[in-house]
Amino acid sequence: MRRAWRFVADHYLVVAIGGALALIWANRDPERYFGFANACAFAVNEIGMALVLAFLAQEVAEASLPGGSLHPFSQAIVPLVGGVGGTVGAALAYFAYLALGDEHILARGWPVSGAADLTVALAVARAIFGRGPAVAVAVIIALTSDVIGLLIISGQHLVAHVHPAAAILVVIGTGVAALLRRRGVVSRAPYVVLGGTLSWFGCYWSGIQPVLSLLPIVPFLRHAPRDLTLRHEDQPEHHTATHFESVFELPAQVIAFLFGLVNVGIGLRGFDTGTWAVAVASLVGRPAGTLMAIMAATLAGLKLPRRTGWKEAIVAALASAPTALYGVLMSVSIFPVGPLLVQTKLSAIATVIGLLPAFAVARLLSVGRFAVGAMRNP
Amino acid sequence: MRRVFAAAGIAVALLRAVSVAQEAPLLPNRPGSLKFAAIGDNGTGDQPQYDVAAQMERWHQRFGFDMVIMLGDNLYGSQQPVDFVQKFERPYKPLLDAGVKFYASLGNHDDQRNDTYTLFNMNGQRYYSFVRSDVRFFVLDTNFLDPLQLVWLERQLASATEPWKIAYFHHPLYSDGGRHGSEVELRVKLEPLFIRYGINLVYSGHDHIYERIKPQHGIYYFVSGAGGQLRPGDLKRSDLTAAGFDRDRSFMLNEIDGTDLYFQVVSRTGQIVDDGVIHRGRVS
Repeated sequence: MRRAWRFVADHYLVVAIGGALALIWANRDPERYFGFANACAFAVNEIGMALVLAFLAQEVAEASLPGGSLHPFSQAIVPLVGGVGGTVGAALAYFAYLALGDEHILARGWPVSGAADLTVALAVARAIFGRGPAVAVAVIIALTSDVIGLLIISGQHLVAHVHPAAAILVVIGTGVAALLRRRGVVSRAPYVVLGGTLSWFGCYWSGIQPVLSLLPIVPFLRHAPRDLTLRHEDQPEHHTATHFESVFELPAQVIAFLFGLVNVGIGLRGFDTGTWAVAVASLVGRPAGTLMAIMAATLAGLKLPRRTGWKEAIVAALASAPTALYGVLMSVSIFPVGPLLVQTKLSAIATVIGLLPAFAVARLLSVGRFAVGAMRNP
Repeated sequence: MRRVFAAAGIAVALLRAVSVAQEAPLLPNRPGSLKFAAIGDNGTGDQPQYDVAAQMERWHQRFGFDMVIMLGDNLYGSQQPVDFVQKFERPYKPLLDAGVKFYASLGNHDDQRNDTYTLFNMNGQRYYSFVRSDVRFFVLDTNFLDPLQLVWLERQLASATEPWKIAYFHHPLYSDGGRHGSEVELRVKLEPLFIRYGINLVYSGHDHIYERIKPQHGIYYFVSGAGGQLRPGDLKRSDLTAAGFDRDRSFMLNEIDGTDLYFQVVSRTGQIVDDGVIHRGRVS
């Protein structure tokens, strides 16, 4: 039971469980479902998800430390270029698809197609490459695209009234976190409750996406190097009583479940132009852009990370293609309730099928677990 | 032989009588009443749109409506200046020349910048309201129903003192169109406001059919999205359906006189496919 929960928690499968329930509910009793989703959307999407994003950011920050999977930075340059190329490729494919028709109002949704689901990318890469270095390549590609996406949506918060001066609260909140760190405060809660709350209000009132509000706090939390290819139980320093992960894992999982429940419920008849545009951009434009950027980087003299060849790079590009729940988060940040939101959310969820080509191509190219002589459980 | 001719003559007379009855305005056409037409999903620039426009002009000669509400997708495809001529100004030229004013809402196929097009009377606003006679119209942009628009709508509704309140926008809150259907997410946002502030009628398009919905919470909903486009056979009648028509293009004629709103739905060929009267509070 404990192992099953660990597997569910590590892969954020609670989101999928919440999402599956939401899909059934939304298509059986849409009026009640959307009433519920509408009532919960603010608390979950704008407050709760800030904690989940901080949780993920903490994991990435730790993986970038010496001894972490994403260290050293020099190994990350080519995948990082690939991530930029993936976003550009997705955006170009998205606009090209829209240019075939006349629904230009969907243009503002392009960051949805540029997003990559970090959790899906990590899970697929781990399933294919085990503990191989290509896992980090897939994660960096996805992460780079997500950072770009977050920067783009940061100023697109849909509120009635914006007070730019309130951004000073973000600075004060960050200052509080710095002060707590300087005072040697070990407990994680004050960082989030004091610094985080100030930062959240600063973001909300100034028109910055409040889901980003805890990110300035994360650098001041206690970190321990993280190996993304290791299981949770094999990294004991991450479940000490004062580690962010221990303190906030359960709330983060509950919020992730609610995120799936509140956002994934969509009438399956809602597909339209936006659905196809996101699908084409994510599953074709993104991997193509990623690989072309990596090719350009290597032609410019940069090198792929150690023990990573072209075959691994191709599979990593495909593994980081699905936008999935990160795309849903982008969608709800860009579009208000309505048909455009439904179209893009539907497609973001559907891009999970993009993991199938990753496995198929890995098998075709005989990489990772499909390599000749590879151990079944590396 | 004389009997045959006599029978034929009677038959022709009867057919003509039926035809005239079909085309005769059922609307009261009273002086001083507010008369307006409604079209949706019209801007194809194709022959059927021109046919509907010609039919509107024929009815305008007998039923002098002086405004048209547009339920979105006012132009499809390219939206260059030449397209405004081909897909709007030319088909509706007789109406425009007669001084009929068009008040547009934006659909998913409309360029958002079209709110500055003078003949759409949007004054650069993607959502707006206006008053005619004792009716306040609320024109919404359901492509992008952001918090600012909702705040605006609530303020407008709260301050409206007119006895008739009519909302129109592109995406239907209720529809039995097979392609799109009801936009329940929008309904959850808008309907509570409509109920609280006493909206009487709602018009929308998007599904390329005509449908009259049975009153919901005392509000009358119409889908009129076949002003140029058509999805034949797309109406999937349900318990919601009061009346519908999906075999040809259509438009609506409306007349508000005191506490009564008379409506009549006319097909491209001039056939009256639905009609009725709404008294503020009940329908017949």
